[in-house]
Amino acid sequence: MKEFSKVAMVAAFLSTAVSAGALHAQTAEVLHWWTSGGEQAALGEVRKAFEAQGGTWVDTPIAGGGNARAAAVNRMLGGDPAAVFQFSIGQQLRELADQGLLANVDQIATEEHWDDKLPPLIVKAAKYDGEYIAAPINIHGENWMFYNKEAFEKAGVDVPKTWPEFMTAAKKLQDAGIIPIGLGGQPWQERIMFNSVLLGVGGRDFYAKLYSTLDDDLLASDTMREVFETFAKLKPFVDESSPGRNWNEATNMVIKGDAAVQFMGDWAKGEIIAAGVEPGTTVGCSLAPAKDTAYIMTVDAFAFSAMDGQDPTPAQAKMAHVMLEPDVQIAFNKKKGSIPARLDVPSDSFDACAQLAIKTLQDEKTHLVSTGLFGVPSAVSGAIDDSISNFWNSADMSAAEGQEQFRQAISYAK
Amino acid sequence: MAEQAQRALTSSHSGRRRWRPQWTARMALIPAMTITIVCFYGFIIWTFVISLTRSRLLPVYKFTGFDQYFRLFANERWWTAMQNLAIHGVLFIGGCMLFGYFLAILVDRGIKAEGLFRTVFMLPLSMSFIVTGVIWQWVMNPGLGLQEAVRDLGWTSFEFNWIVRPDRSIYTLAIAGIWQQVGLCMALFLAGLRNIDPNIWKATRVDGIPVWRVYLHVITPMLRTVFFTVFILMSAIVMKAFDLVVALTGGGPGFSSDLPARFVVDHILNRQELGLGAAGAFVLLCTVIAVISPYIHFELRKERGGRGH
Repeated sequence: MKEFSKVAMVAAFLSTAVSAGALHAQTAEVLHWWTSGGEQAALGEVRKAFEAQGGTWVDTPIAGGGNARAAAVNRMLGGDPAAVFQFSIGQQLRELADQGLLANVDQIATEEHWDDKLPPLIVKAAKYDGEYIAAPINIHGENWMFYNKEAFEKAGVDVPKTWPEFMTAAKKLQDAGIIPIGLGGQPWQERIMFNSVLLGVGGRDFYAKLYSTLDDDLLASDTMREVFETFAKLKPFVDESSPGRNWNEATNMVIKGDAAVQFMGDWAKGEIIAAGVEPGTTVGCSLAPAKDTAYIMTVDAFAFSAMDGQDPTPAQAKMAHVMLEPDVQIAFNKKKGSIPARLDVPSDSFDACAQLAIKTLQDEKTHLVSTGLFGVPSAVSGAIDDSISNFWNSADMSAAEGQEQFRQAISYAK
Repeated sequence: MAEQAQRALTSSHSGRRRWRPQWTARMALIPAMTITIVCFYGFIIWTFVISLTRSRLLPVYKFTGFDQYFRLFANERWWTAMQNLAIHGVLFIGGCMLFGYFLAILVDRGIKAEGLFRTVFMLPLSMSFIVTGVIWQWVMNPGLGLQEAVRDLGWTSFEFNWIVRPDRSIYTLAIAGIWQQVGLCMALFLAGLRNIDPNIWKATRVDGIPVWRVYLHVITPMLRTVFFTVFILMSAIVMKAFDLVVALTGGGPGFSSDLPARFVVDHILNRQELGLGAAGAFVLLCTVIAVISPYIHFELRKERGGRGH
């Protein structure tokens, strides 16, 4: 009896050891900051596909992008990295690659021709030394204008296509007793609005040149002055309680019709859908007023820790493959409110706003990215946020002063 | 013989007794000492070392001298934060002491339902700064808080919009902070007041000194150590102030209500500016030492001198 139990114990031990070994080959711990309902549902689609292909998914959600990024880095430095982790692509990720902490997924990317399927600017941002160090899973757009159709009808205005048109429309809206702009007064939201103005007034070439070079002459140019003047003119169109407001509260003001428009990224659609409104119906979406069409892209991406060496483990390679599968791209992005990172997947099952985005992006000239993806260090984008927010919130700062402060902040942080 | 042995035993026993407590005390101190040395002084030194490097996301030991300090001092937001720390520090510590002492005196005068008042004043303390911040954010929000409520009552020109005004937002921190901490100050002062010898009150009554003068000239000087305790406790809260500003104003509008602790955390965690954040932390530490240590030194010396008499 005693002998038997010993044998049984050894057998049990061996079998767990073996199964653990087998599992390990296809097990990937995924560290991410998608903790809200919609985000979890979206990521669930990736998980489902990964598990259907024989992988085991260990979920490690950490609330808050900053916290999650810090956790990912700390665990890497501590020698216990999460195999797959969500991260912003750009300067910081390159710094991790510099230290040899990342596995590259270039082989699978070459096999699946990511170069031809992803927007070239995203390809550039996701590579380090010519090799993919991240899998971009979606594209969010930052220069959207969501508007309440009833509010526009009540004030008798059409959807403005340029900033001068917007000013006229905003005055009429104000006269009709509607808050023209529902703004969440937090630095990053003010920056999103500023970038829409920058793009709209300066044009897409100016925007791209400015953020890719951070050139002093451009920062001091007359075009930039005009950007600041236009931005300053928006101040009276925002209500008093704006400072500190969360973006989703501002979205709800537009849904209810208290405010007419919100300049926000397309994640606002999640809030609109949650309120039981189909985007494109009572709450319309169009790109922010601009002199030429462009789409400011920002990307959610996952990177891969070096487990042993720069080559990905089978589980990591599988994850990279799954994330860019057309079906997963569609299922994931419909729930996330973004559009597929791959521009070659069919768009007909998406909502009107997403379809507009996908259509816009078919023309490569419209491609722009947010500051971080231009390779701007986070120190500089932080300084940009600070100075925009400072300008927006000081009643007595002139456009020229704002411009000069913006230029200085960038040159100090560079 | 036996007696001698006995004596030897007792002497060695007493010798060990004298030696043992000291030894065990030292042993017991080792963990605390290690934690203090490593986690406190060790990390202070490490922070200083990092502040001399160009570290961004990861610690990199490539030294650049005092570059980060120059960058820090050229940063407008840093100076706003430091100035805010001074304003907030004075208002918060002063306000807590004043109101805390005042409430303690009122409670000490033997009002009715003393227990009830004590509980009411102490209640906010049971809330975290985050909760306090959120509550006051709602109260002070001009669109849905106090301002709107008063205007709905008919006083339509009433204005209380400090939280959205860059030139006033820093004062809202003090309001919320005092509201939360005043109970603790009151409790400490009350304990001090209850410790005053009743004979002093009897003596002043015999002499016919008005009550307010007794408080001002007799009781208050006697409570100097309590004031000292409250000051130290409250200054620690001011220096650490991070969660309150995050929840209440988020440093805004713009960065008008930013505080150094938030500046440091923001730069280290969100902006991957490890070097600059470390420089900020170190400057903050130096400032705190420069401001607080003279007072501590002065108070402790006085106390030691006082005991000598």
